[in-house]
Amino acid sequence: MALLETDDRRWKHRQPITFPGYSVRHGGGADRPNRASSNESDADGQVPPSLLQWTPLAGTALLDRIRITGRPRPAADPNRVEALRRIIDDGIESCLTPVAVSGADRRRLVVTHAALSRALDRRSGRSDGSIAGRRELTVPIACGALVGVLFRQLLTTGSFGDPWVDGLGALAVDDRQQELVAWIHRLPAGERDGLAAEVRRQAAGLARRWPDLDAAWLPRTDEPIRTVLSDGAVELSARVDLAIGRPGLDVASVALVAITSGSRRPAHRDDLHFSALVETLRRPAPPFAVATYYSRTGELDVDPVSDELLIAAAERTAAGISAMVRQEEP
Amino acid sequence: MTAAAQLTEAILRPAPSRTGPAVAQRIRDRLAGNVPDLVAPLPPGEQIVVSVPILRQLASGGDNPTIRPDDPFAWKPAFVRRSLGLAAIDACLAGYFRAPLEAVGPVAEWAVAEWERSGWRTFHWEPWYAGLGTGGRGAVLAEASNWATGVWASLDWGQFRTAPRLGGPDDQWVCPGPRTVRLKGRSEIRIDLPSPEPSDSGSGSSLRSGSGSGSGSTTQQVLVAVAGGSPPSGLDVQLGYLALVAALRTPTRPAPVRVVGLWPQAGEARTVEVTDELLARAGDTALDAVRAVVRTRGGSPMDGAGLGVGGGADALGTTDRLGTGDPASGSAAIEALAAA
Repeated sequence: MALLETDDRRWKHRQPITFPGYSVRHGGGADRPNRASSNESDADGQVPPSLLQWTPLAGTALLDRIRITGRPRPAADPNRVEALRRIIDDGIESCLTPVAVSGADRRRLVVTHAALSRALDRRSGRSDGSIAGRRELTVPIACGALVGVLFRQLLTTGSFGDPWVDGLGALAVDDRQQELVAWIHRLPAGERDGLAAEVRRQAAGLARRWPDLDAAWLPRTDEPIRTVLSDGAVELSARVDLAIGRPGLDVASVALVAITSGSRRPAHRDDLHFSALVETLRRPAPPFAVATYYSRTGELDVDPVSDELLIAAAERTAAGISAMVRQEEP
Repeated sequence: MTAAAQLTEAILRPAPSRTGPAVAQRIRDRLAGNVPDLVAPLPPGEQIVVSVPILRQLASGGDNPTIRPDDPFAWKPAFVRRSLGLAAIDACLAGYFRAPLEAVGPVAEWAVAEWERSGWRTFHWEPWYAGLGTGGRGAVLAEASNWATGVWASLDWGQFRTAPRLGGPDDQWVCPGPRTVRLKGRSEIRIDLPSPEPSDSGSGSSLRSGSGSGSGSTTQQVLVAVAGGSPPSGLDVQLGYLALVAALRTPTRPAPVRVVGLWPQAGEARTVEVTDELLARAGDTALDAVRAVVRTRGGSPMDGAGLGVGGGADALGTTDRLGTGDPASGSAAIEALAAA
């Protein structure tokens, strides 16, 4: 069940923030003057009247919302991993040819959440039937990419200068984004100015609401995660905007966060649950929570990770892989 | 026990077997005897470099593999992450930072300041990094922090009785001849196994612990190599290749007893124990790689070597192409940070 932060103001003043195995450090360092260390609406420690209206969580309250799910954290369980693998393997067994399961690297089917969603949409008639689909560049895509690199910069260095300049600078050093950077520079001045204004607005929200993350929590940004299934025939691959918490412990200690610059869509949760599945299959313990942060509004959706969530994700993954393989057959 | 503790314990387990210097010598002779014929079709002066990424292409290339030429080099964050990440880990191990996220910024700033002061490039990327704006620098630091955090979280560093050696120059061995063939192996971490307990002094009296024992040492060594992606099947030969190049490079020192491949993105680690047979297979695979490179460059390698493909070896690539840096770079950075 997704919980909106409006349901969770009760966590607002909870202290302290602790991830398993770490010492506690609150608030931002002296070198990070532009960062929030508490909810933006409670700087004086009083509950202001504005709380009667919804306000985005900020500072420790935002982290608490991710950290405290209200459920026990799942323990590492090899049987869980085995069961999830079996769900996927059984679901795709009939559609994988002997060649495909030979384990040879060049035959490996790399499955991302985008590929899964495309395949499932095509199967249900919700898309045009294109197979891979070249990314169509749009202003929302550009905004998402820019906000994504700014979020990464903020968590790594603690600040940014002009978000528009910094964002473009970060994309410019990424050879995968050269086409996007060129496209942004070719935008008509009016559209480019509008994009820049929105990027600056969202970046200001990020800086205002996201606190410093203790380095000892091992925050990783834009982290690729992957796992191999079916004797090497299939690789599940995802990328999470933020993973926080030490991996590899006996009890769930990692939270995954996606940053989205657009509006809330159901597909975001599917994507995040896929990431939870991949993380579960690659580590001894699953993540304890997955969250989507909407940088446009400051909304935060948090799903505690349960076996039910993981099983549903595994079943969807198996269905998606089957659809992918069948749709690619001549 | 955490996954990192289990892996570290496995790394430090007493080695069950060792290879002798005679094996490396035999392979060296074999390579030196066969490589000149294989590369004879190439123009004199031509060079070939065999590395794990080449072996990876070889393994995935089917029956008639070809090797792609390198793309023109241009700096990007992925080429910096290894050297900066290892220096950050080194600084953490020295106690100056709690985690790589804290360390990457100061280490990068120190490197740039040193380059600006002395003109000496510890890591090679300093001028490029210095020319970036804050956004580009942030992307570089984030990439390095991620990489280093993956390595940092994979091991239980407190278990090491002697400091692991991080980074440093690649192991290399050059096959002599008019057309140079260079075998290169890159390991991220080198660990000396603890010396046996005094009660073992009968058979194991030659073992000594401690880093920096240098040429001629009989200390048992474990190599740890870090790669992106996930471990495919059949990677033993590629891990063994790293041990082979290390053994060829330093004839007076025994081959590493164990090689560990680490894939932080997949949360996986694989360990191979180094045996005579594994080294021999790695040597065969190196010859196959030379043959494939010659074929790719338009030559028709002579088949006198007659060696088979080395058993479906697989990926252990790295993208940090110039990031080896100076072996003393990490400690120099730490000293500077300490002074600050």
